[in-house]
Amino acid sequence: MARIKTSFAFTFAMLSFVLLICFFINISLGSVQIPLDAILEILSGSSAPSTWKIIVLDFRLPKAITAILVGSSLGVSGLLMQTLFRNPLAGPFVLGISSGASLGVALVILGSGLFGGTLALAFVSKWSIVIASSLGSFLVLLAVLVVSQRVRDTMAILIIGLMFGSVTAAIVSVMSYFSSAEQLQQYVFWGFGSLSNLAWDGVGILSVIIIIGLILAIASIKSLNSLLLGDAYAKSLGLNLKQSRLIIIIATSLLAGGVTAFAGPIAFIGLAIPHLTRQIFKTTNHKLLLPAVCIFGAVVMLICDSIAQVPTTDYTLPINAITALIGAPVVIWLLTRQRKMIF
Amino acid sequence: MYIKRLILFCLVLCSACKDRVESSLSTSNTESLILKYAKGFSVDYYDDYKVIHILQPWQGASKEFSYILISEEELAKTSFPKNTYDGIIINPLDRIVVTSTTHLPALELLEETKALVGFPGTDYISSNTIRQAIAAGNVRDLGQNESLNTEVLIELNPDVIVGFGVDEVNKAFSTAEKAGIPVIYNGDWVESSPLAKAEWLKLFGVLLNKEKQADSIFKRIEKNYIDAMQLAQQTKHSPTILSGAMHNDVWYLPKGSSTEAQLLKDAHTSYIWENTKGEGSLALSYETVLDKAKSADIWLNPSIFSSYTSLKDANQLYTNFEAFASKNIFTIANTKGETGGVLYYELGISRPDLVLKDIIKIAHPNLLPDYNFVFFKPLQQ
Repeated sequence: MARIKTSFAFTFAMLSFVLLICFFINISLGSVQIPLDAILEILSGSSAPSTWKIIVLDFRLPKAITAILVGSSLGVSGLLMQTLFRNPLAGPFVLGISSGASLGVALVILGSGLFGGTLALAFVSKWSIVIASSLGSFLVLLAVLVVSQRVRDTMAILIIGLMFGSVTAAIVSVMSYFSSAEQLQQYVFWGFGSLSNLAWDGVGILSVIIIIGLILAIASIKSLNSLLLGDAYAKSLGLNLKQSRLIIIIATSLLAGGVTAFAGPIAFIGLAIPHLTRQIFKTTNHKLLLPAVCIFGAVVMLICDSIAQVPTTDYTLPINAITALIGAPVVIWLLTRQRKMIF
Repeated sequence: MYIKRLILFCLVLCSACKDRVESSLSTSNTESLILKYAKGFSVDYYDDYKVIHILQPWQGASKEFSYILISEEELAKTSFPKNTYDGIIINPLDRIVVTSTTHLPALELLEETKALVGFPGTDYISSNTIRQAIAAGNVRDLGQNESLNTEVLIELNPDVIVGFGVDEVNKAFSTAEKAGIPVIYNGDWVESSPLAKAEWLKLFGVLLNKEKQADSIFKRIEKNYIDAMQLAQQTKHSPTILSGAMHNDVWYLPKGSSTEAQLLKDAHTSYIWENTKGEGSLALSYETVLDKAKSADIWLNPSIFSSYTSLKDANQLYTNFEAFASKNIFTIANTKGETGGVLYYELGISRPDLVLKDIIKIAHPNLLPDYNFVFFKPLQQ
């Protein structure tokens, strides 16, 4: 037992070290080539004001922290959903949380075209997008849960989630049809996902939301472990099923909704990270999984962002494309290598 | 034997048809329309009809389109094999549908706005004359975003639709063509210089039998443009220019050979990316743009942002540019018609002389002291 614990400690130490390395690599790579000693000087705060200083402190640093926040919280929300629904295919996207967020954002960005007579071109404020997105994701998740109380089959719940996604997608496309090109453009670009849209104030607020979500998730570790054994068994262990479900849902909607609100619908991370982590740690104990998913999600997100920046070129790629492009083959490779899914 | 005879009969019939065309329509090409800049279309004049060739309806088009513009009497006298022309347009035209706001100034300059019967998305229209026509119910709205309402279109039954497309696939257009409404593709946007785009005014001159007016109006625009350009070259100072803004993580700016960049050059300014090749847009990262343009003197068209506050709200990173601090940002987004259409997107292509003067006024205010901005305005607080 003691040996297992130390080996976990070793893995955690390794992961944290990798996270630190990735964080530093992420900050030192970008379109503009800044030498390593200049970056160290800027980070230590001893350099004179310059374009490089702005790039590192106001652009790369908040972006790297956003990547960590996004990776961790999407990973955790995926883990929560997979356990709550006892379905390995679950994740914020599969159950329509992100569709809900898109609907909220679409109502804000495109809504004026539908409800207003003239072409409203005002740039929608960042905060109204955040609020709309969070509300949308919370309502859709709640709706899925209410319906899921009536059906026992987990596959049915999954399909119900997909149906909610289809309905919101349909409403969004009707709204798109009646929107101006500029509104549509704004909405489409939101869908690409972005890590650099947040300045320091945005990073601050996102951190607060995510920390609350993570605290709720940590508080649910015990109930999550019981839920793995099935509702009936969890009840017999004295778990207040309704209450713990609600807490898990609030945690997920804070984590996934918050991230989607600030960074757009980032694909894939929420589904893949819990699987990758389970494969590495070979456990289903949430006491270990939760922090591991947190760190691992952050690492993957930092790597994806470094790739999306296409270092040394003038171009950047949408983060949303990179996460799935890099992530999906890794999951396939891991599953075929292990030949057995740990869930 | 019977079949052979039938085939022979058909052949004779066909050649007879052909002969008839040649005999009744004169084929002697009397002259062609003179175009100084535009390369995307040409017009040939015959005794009784005109033939319009659209050579470049869209970027990389593999085929050209030909249209015959002919009076009803002449058409009755003749017939020609199917597929000779992509459309037969009956001259004169009384009822026109255009599909882009950039087509509207031509109608207004040629004083033919009364011919306009339909337009997709009338809210985009800024022109006062046409807004009055819309208010009077003379212009039907044909739907939104280029997905034309086919039923209304066919009910309107215009003499011609002036369309545009990025390729040949447009269901509404092909339905209209099946219903006998010719669709002529306007390729002004493909042209590679501001004056070439403006010269498409002459296409409307041909369609509306107002070639002379179109020619003299275009000459005036051309002269204004060249005069303004020469005026700008007199100054020594050439301020540096940054353009565009970010959509999420990507900063879009016009490439060095685009018409936007040409206008900046003609206004005697130094556009920071003037040496990049190609038309269309560059998609750059924030880092690159900041590195090169932090100290740019002037910042033009930060996307759809209308004020310094909205720019700062959208992304704090914008405040790092010196043009932001010195309040030297100008935009076309704040000059709108009464229903919200941006004037530049309607009039900008037809009046490059005014666009150029706007930019000169921004870059060298002393050169045009009495000139008032048409499209550009300083960003609001």
